Amino acid sequence: MKSPVRPPRWAQWLLIRLHPDNTLEEVAGDLDELYTYWYKRSGKTQATLRYILNVVSVLPPFVRRRKTNKQYQQPERRTTSNITSIMIRNYLKIAYRNLKRQKVSTSINIVGLAIGLATCILITLYVQDELSYDRYNEKADRIFRVGFKLRLNGEDVSGPITGPNVARDLQREFPEVLKATRLLRGSEFVSYGTSSFKEDNLLFADSTFFDVFTIPFLKGNPKQALTEPNTLVLTEETARKYFGNQDPIGKVLLFGNEQTPHRITGVVRNVPENAHFRFNMLASLPGYDEQHIGWLYNINYYTYLVLPEKYDYRQLEAKISRLGEKEMGSEVQQFLQLSPKQFREKGDDFGIFLQPLTDIHLRSPFGGTELSPGGNILYVYVLTAIAVFMLLIACVNFMNLSTATAARRSREVGVRKVLGSVKGQLQQQFLIESVLLAIAALLVGLLVVGFALPFFNQLTGKALTLRLLTNGYVIAGLVAGTVLVGLLAGSYPAFYLSSFKPVLVLKGRITTGRNSFNLRSGLVVFQFFITISMIIATVTADRQLRYMRTQKVGFNREQVLVIHDTHMLHNNEAVFRDKIIQSPQVIMGSISGQVPVGNSAIDNTPVMSRENPSKGVMSRFYKVDEAYIPTLGMRLVQGRNFSKNSPTDSFAVILNETAVRALGWQQHPIGRELIGHVDDNGVKTYYRVIGVVSDFHFESLRQKIGPLVMFFGRNSGNILVKTRTDKVPQLLASLKQQWQSFSPAAPFSYSFLNDRFEHVYLSEQKIEQVLTLFSSLTIFIACLGLFGLTTYTAEQRTKEIGVRKVLGASVSSVVALLSKDFLKLIVIALMLASPIAGWCMNQWLKGFAYKITIDWWIFALAGLLAVGIALLTVSFQSIKAALTNPIKSLRSE
Amino acid sequence: MRRTYLGEFEEVVLLMVAILDGEGYGVTISEALEAHTGRIVTFGTVHNTLIRLEEKGFVSSELGGATAERGGRRKRLFRITALGSRALQEIQQLRQNLWQLLPPDTLRLGGI
Repeated sequence: MKSPVRPPRWAQWLLIRLHPDNTLEEVAGDLDELYTYWYKRSGKTQATLRYILNVVSVLPPFVRRRKTNKQYQQPERRTTSNITSIMIRNYLKIAYRNLKRQKVSTSINIVGLAIGLATCILITLYVQDELSYDRYNEKADRIFRVGFKLRLNGEDVSGPITGPNVARDLQREFPEVLKATRLLRGSEFVSYGTSSFKEDNLLFADSTFFDVFTIPFLKGNPKQALTEPNTLVLTEETARKYFGNQDPIGKVLLFGNEQTPHRITGVVRNVPENAHFRFNMLASLPGYDEQHIGWLYNINYYTYLVLPEKYDYRQLEAKISRLGEKEMGSEVQQFLQLSPKQFREKGDDFGIFLQPLTDIHLRSPFGGTELSPGGNILYVYVLTAIAVFMLLIACVNFMNLSTATAARRSREVGVRKVLGSVKGQLQQQFLIESVLLAIAALLVGLLVVGFALPFFNQLTGKALTLRLLTNGYVIAGLVAGTVLVGLLAGSYPAFYLSSFKPVLVLKGRITTGRNSFNLRSGLVVFQFFITISMIIATVTADRQLRYMRTQKVGFNREQVLVIHDTHMLHNNEAVFRDKIIQSPQVIMGSISGQVPVGNSAIDNTPVMSRENPSKGVMSRFYKVDEAYIPTLGMRLVQGRNFSKNSPTDSFAVILNETAVRALGWQQHPIGRELIGHVDDNGVKTYYRVIGVVSDFHFESLRQKIGPLVMFFGRNSGNILVKTRTDKVPQLLASLKQQWQSFSPAAPFSYSFLNDRFEHVYLSEQKIEQVLTLFSSLTIFIACLGLFGLTTYTAEQRTKEIGVRKVLGASVSSVVALLSKDFLKLIVIALMLASPIAGWCMNQWLKGFAYKITIDWWIFALAGLLAVGIALLTVSFQSIKAALTNPIKSLRSE
Repeated sequence: MRRTYLGEFEEVVLLMVAILDGEGYGVTISEALEAHTGRIVTFGTVHNTLIRLEEKGFVSSELGGATAERGGRRKRLFRITALGSRALQEIQQLRQNLWQLLPPDTLRLGGI
């Protein structure tokens, strides 16, 4: 083609840009051809003019748009598009009628799914709350806590705490540490005017506290608060407690016996519930200790660092470790006369680590040393699993029931098919029905959540609200989730039902044969698998808890009253004690700082035997008076108790059996001597063993009993009182009166040893309650499913039962016939569940030093329980079926 | 089904498609129109008419027959469908019936 015979380019460009795509090819070609034709006939100008005119004629709006092939080749099809509002209205109407007619299966479906959904929502709320800990901090992702690793004599005594100077040293050495702050736990008697309170929730903090943590100020200046010594920041609530509606800024609170004045410099919002530490008061922390360098000295400080954004904290951790090696290494050298290498060769270890703030609540292994008891990521996983399983079981039930009731509707499907319904339409119909049911269940479920939330809060000790559910995304998610559940649960019945052959169905031959039985029985096995596992878990947890409660703790905790803070009476403490034991209701009273319930394991001190001074045994020290052992009803295995009349007893000790074993004194421990104290000049103090007390649990049963050394001496703090009365209120009233006669700075407060003991196992108790709740719910849902299924089977076999009865079958044989199939499934489920649940519970029990073993009878019990419940559920229907008069079932054919 | 209305221009184009017997596409139809009726119409008119006829089911089309002259682009070749030929025949029949009804002298007189 010669170049002049070409239409103007801009016109071609216009054509390509604006002409509809699907006819562009032929139109452009045609126009090119025409251009050549015109060019030959009338010349270039004419051709160009006509070309442009014609191009314009095929540009919008002059051009007709070509529709896609399919649509206009069969134009008559367009009137029967798949979804029309009329059909949908019809589906809804039919769905409503069906649900209304089959009240039992409808309500089983809705209730089952509603409970499943409600559980899911509750657990989501719980899990969400657990995961939100400390997220309120603006810098949450950049805050890290410094802790130390220490393994001493084979015992791991690591903690999330450090010495006081770590914060300063790190800030000095590493530019990455943008901010650092320290916290120190405290407890003080605080008085204002005439009112006095014991503040357990007191924290000492650096003035940088508010640069690290996001706790908004209501009054006062965050920059200047806590900068001066003896200043305070209160929370809203505490401010109200002391000052009512007065302005607390500038007011002074008096601390402790010394009445140290503390000035209030700020009021902050209450710390959010989901924080790993909470305080009522923040007091300014004294400056850095310049006398002691080193990091292992006075390990009590919680040190928090703020790092730059997007900074990998492991990098810093490595650097800090290097510095820590130097600092802590020299301390190890100094204290233990061992080089770090020798120390490690002994199998011990030391080091330093960083912990992200957001991991503290759920993933911190230092339960007792934490500022507040944390959660456990395991429980979060377990609960999530339970939520998923509950929902799954509810869905399974839903599918099961819908499939089972299919037979009742097979005729409807047949008629619909004959009248021209295609498969897709039927599937749509059933899916719409199940989505409708699911949404109804969601509404019911939300109601249930609303009612159950207060109880759930009580159970879990949380303050969950439904506020989360008012979030638009959450609502959208819930609705979408529910619709998805409806679709999933409805999909099997939808495909199953729509595949009926109309001829067979209308002839009355319903294909509910064995093939669908396989899936359904699989589903039954699955849910009983879950149910039985839950039962096993619950029974095991319950037994462990009972075991811990009834375990001989080695002392008598019944009727022991603990009066707190008696050291506030100073020299009157003994006077007070002597006064109260004169009461006929009191048997004995002992002054002691140590209450043998739930202490942390960190304050262990080494003792050495005289023969072998190089081998230290880490032991707990108790300082007790002569009344301590009898008051707590501890048993002396050998030797004697301390005595006031024996002057040498101040250099005597009583050991527990574990300590005797650890020191290697199994034979004749009495009269041996141990080194109890070495002062700075290396002077050793020897103590003679005068008695051995039988082992008792001075911590929780999670820990093994360790060596314990009791010294004779004054140790104020509490008075333990053994009582013999059931008139407790009167006793308490008189005690209070006597207490006040000394007019101490502290209020009268007390607890019962028994309650304190229970308190130690609170978290286990809660887990057990939660497990019990959810396992009973699972059982309930599983039973609902089974009930529905039996109803269906019984209905299916009405004629068979009728014939059998006519031929002489007894009621019991018919019941057996109907129950047999289900029993088989449950036995299969039991066999599957036993090893898996057993393994899981074993893992859980590993966390306890003193634990039960999982016996075979637990599995048997779980199986029996499941079988029993299933039988009850099944027999209700099967007996009904078996008792029906055969005439009724056989007359219509 | 409602009888589809066939306009005058549509009828002529349809006839052209029938005459060209499978060889009809944009260019040939435009040229034939010009040659036989002397009417000069824009290409867009022909194009739109063909699409409309296809929508009504009177013609069917397929792509094919690319030439170098067209820059290698394919043509859309049209062919009359059974429905189209029936419509044409019906029009022919109708006209014939009407001609039959015409009184013998009317046209001649009126024509003068």
